[in-house]
Amino acid sequence: MLVSVNQTWATISGDFLIAALLIYSLALLAFAGDFAFGRPRRAAASRVVNKPVAQLATVGGPAPDSAGTDGVGLDDAGSGPGGPADVVADSLPPLRLSAWQAVSAAGSWVRAAIGFSILGVVAHVIAVVARGLAVHRAPWGNMYEFITALTCIAALFFVYVMIRYRAWTLGVFVMGAIVLALGLAETLIYTAAAPLVPALQSYWLSIHVTAMTLSTGIFFVAAVLGILYLIAQRYRKRVAAGKANAGNGLIARIPSPEQLDKLTYRAVIFGFPIWTFGVIAGAIWADQAWGRYWGWDPVETWAFVTWVLYACYLHARATAGWRGTASHVIQLLGFASLMTNMLVVQVFITGMHSYAGVG
Amino acid sequence: MTDVHVPSDVSAETFPEDAVPGLPRNASPKPEVPQANWGWFRWAWRQLTSMRTALILLFLLALGAIPGSLLPQEGTDPASVQNYFTAHQTLAPWLNHLGLFNVYAAPWFAAIYLLLFASLVGCVVPRTFRLAGTARTPPPRAPRNLSRLPNSSSYRVALPPDQAITVAAAFLGGKRFRLRKPAEGDKSSWISAEKGYLREAGNLLFHLSLLGVLCSIAVGGLFGYKADKLMVEGQSFSDTVTSLDEFHPGRLVSGSDLAPFSITLNKFTANYYTSGDSRGEPSSFDASIDYSPSPGAPAKPYDLRINQPLSVDSAKVYLIGHGYAPVFTVTDARGKVVYDEATPFVPQNTGTLLSDGVVKVAGASPTQLGFMGVFVPSPIDVGGVLQSYFPSANDPVVSLIAYAGNLGMNSGIPQSVYQLDTTAMTQLTAKPFALAIGQSETLPGGQGKITFDGYKQWVSLAVTYDPGQLPALVCAILALAGLLLSFLVRRRRVFVRSVPSGDGAVVTIGGLARTDASGGFEDEFAELVTELRAAHGESAPDIPPGETASRAPGENDTETGA
Repeated sequence: MLVSVNQTWATISGDFLIAALLIYSLALLAFAGDFAFGRPRRAAASRVVNKPVAQLATVGGPAPDSAGTDGVGLDDAGSGPGGPADVVADSLPPLRLSAWQAVSAAGSWVRAAIGFSILGVVAHVIAVVARGLAVHRAPWGNMYEFITALTCIAALFFVYVMIRYRAWTLGVFVMGAIVLALGLAETLIYTAAAPLVPALQSYWLSIHVTAMTLSTGIFFVAAVLGILYLIAQRYRKRVAAGKANAGNGLIARIPSPEQLDKLTYRAVIFGFPIWTFGVIAGAIWADQAWGRYWGWDPVETWAFVTWVLYACYLHARATAGWRGTASHVIQLLGFASLMTNMLVVQVFITGMHSYAGVG
Repeated sequence: MTDVHVPSDVSAETFPEDAVPGLPRNASPKPEVPQANWGWFRWAWRQLTSMRTALILLFLLALGAIPGSLLPQEGTDPASVQNYFTAHQTLAPWLNHLGLFNVYAAPWFAAIYLLLFASLVGCVVPRTFRLAGTARTPPPRAPRNLSRLPNSSSYRVALPPDQAITVAAAFLGGKRFRLRKPAEGDKSSWISAEKGYLREAGNLLFHLSLLGVLCSIAVGGLFGYKADKLMVEGQSFSDTVTSLDEFHPGRLVSGSDLAPFSITLNKFTANYYTSGDSRGEPSSFDASIDYSPSPGAPAKPYDLRINQPLSVDSAKVYLIGHGYAPVFTVTDARGKVVYDEATPFVPQNTGTLLSDGVVKVAGASPTQLGFMGVFVPSPIDVGGVLQSYFPSANDPVVSLIAYAGNLGMNSGIPQSVYQLDTTAMTQLTAKPFALAIGQSETLPGGQGKITFDGYKQWVSLAVTYDPGQLPALVCAILALAGLLLSFLVRRRRVFVRSVPSGDGAVVTIGGLARTDASGGFEDEFAELVTELRAAHGESAPDIPPGETASRAPGENDTETGA
């Protein structure tokens, strides 16, 4: 039972984490460079979309990835050519190119940013794995490790979303948030590699915290998308009211509210079942360790509040009068409660989950 | 249905029963003029089961749960509630009136979740019937102009139109689509196909399972019990109300329902990390016990650990705490041994296990004796004050203050075994005296002698029985399964029409999925079209496939509008 910490792996983990942070910062710079100096794609994309898409839309052609894409980036019954949601197609490049072609066509800033992002994720994964090897357990036993792991998940998930949906315009925001979170973890709450107290010595720990880390990483991306949605929606209203110029400035470059809404929804319905599973696994673990599966411990309470708020979002999105801005505000409230749980409740409120190892 | 102009209208019209994704309720109840009696009730019920009310109740549930995490709760930490009352003498009674020290059992919290579940029942039950109805109803007729659907494609085949439809019907039937063919006498060639009813079924399963979780919790609260027992190494206890320290039965549980097992604690071992940042943190706890499942049954050994409870006779026994119990021998003024036992001390500091306790010698004569003590597991002298530098016992000492007089144990007021009431006692020694193992202190005035013989360890055990636990787990897993089904399954419709063209026919395929589904229908549709086209090609292999028709509206209209 008395296991010591492998210092070699601990050092490797620390070095790779710093490297990941630096590479993410470079990716962030490149994303910002694309924003500032990249060639404007907006006009070009609109032109492509408004052209007849007859040949490309015809099914049965040789290239499978050209099938069924009708020039709209995302599946949307209401956004065919000439349909009411023509604007949808404005700012994300269409999906008819393969991911590789799209990346090649995206310009050197984007290519550099994607390259750095992937490299950063690789370094990040190595850091997390090395931490696990150093402490002989799943590397999410305290707050520092938890943030390191969840930002790793967020970065992985974002790189996937970015390449799958050509959403590089989101990079500067998501990467910015990841660099911020990781940087704060590294400077404020760094905790040296250490073994666990008996209550945490359970394979349910790995299962419960893995699910929580995964879903938190995914909700993290959803939250950034939600904030962008609110910005894009406000911008659209201002354009409609004549208070802002369409097609100018940074905000015009982020995807349309409809696309952001869809991406957010997909992220949430990906994260929500994992969160649900994590809460169930946590209840099983609580039963093993403390003799009850649910005891309204502060951390349990806030996990419940988070679950209910994301359920609210899913319902609000299906309720007339609550779609759009209101549902996104609810989604962000859910993420706020998740963050409250992680950064306030676990650190400052005494409960049975006081394992943060901070301070 | 056939007169469709914009694709977005199609999806709303062709899926009338779940045009609103997620939980389609009567989203905006129409303001009705309530009629007498039943009218009001119906109106109220409709309000309650509306989606907006459900949303507000969900919000209130989240909001209502929060104070319980910020204020101490009776259920989990009654001592902190007492402290809060002492510290906030004006505020605390008000908070108490609002039930904020027992939020999760408060009537207003129960009102929120019961209303929420009533709303859920009012929504889910009719929907279950509706789903059963839909599952028996065939899909709608194929719209006239399939090229206006979100996904469409057309090509020429070398088959007559009705044969092309027969092939399509066989193909889609093989893919487990539910089919609808034209009625007798309808000469047009088309087929409608629908799939993905499991989405709604999953959604309903999720909500019904949540109801099941609530019922399981209620069953646990009614028929379960929770009990605590502190035992020192070498002691035994059997699971009866009198031998338990605390017993919290469910509403329908009596003492005779207890599981009649017994447990003996042989030895408790705690290990601690000795180096690094975690120095002093525990690495393992291990209580070696013998237990017999029923009276007279042979005893079996078990290693009780944290995360490794003992399941015995449908109850579970958990290791939840530990500490030191110094052993004292006390002789009174007559020279008679009046106390010889291990006395559990309560840890004051979990990091060093510096522990407090009292020894009450009620049998001492002529006056009763009492001692207040501190047990120091690993003593170190810090500026004249004894401190503990490590939680495990390395040459432990006890520091004691002796009292003589009346312990007040016969006053009728219940006393804590961990507190000494010194109001009727006199302090015998001006300063505390420290004893190492084996040392004795003779009390002044010939009052007797106390010897520190050594120490044992104690553990506190929790005994729980919760018959709602397994049902709750099953319901939770079902809820998760339902959630996944409702997120992953896509309800989609595929229509095929075929019109004569030259030697063969032009086949048009249209498809649509609920826009809210997790996406990817384009890929599935493209695959369906490719496979269907291949199936058509196999049926008429000798004629090469005609030129590919496009989905440009003008061209399609001339081909399919006939």
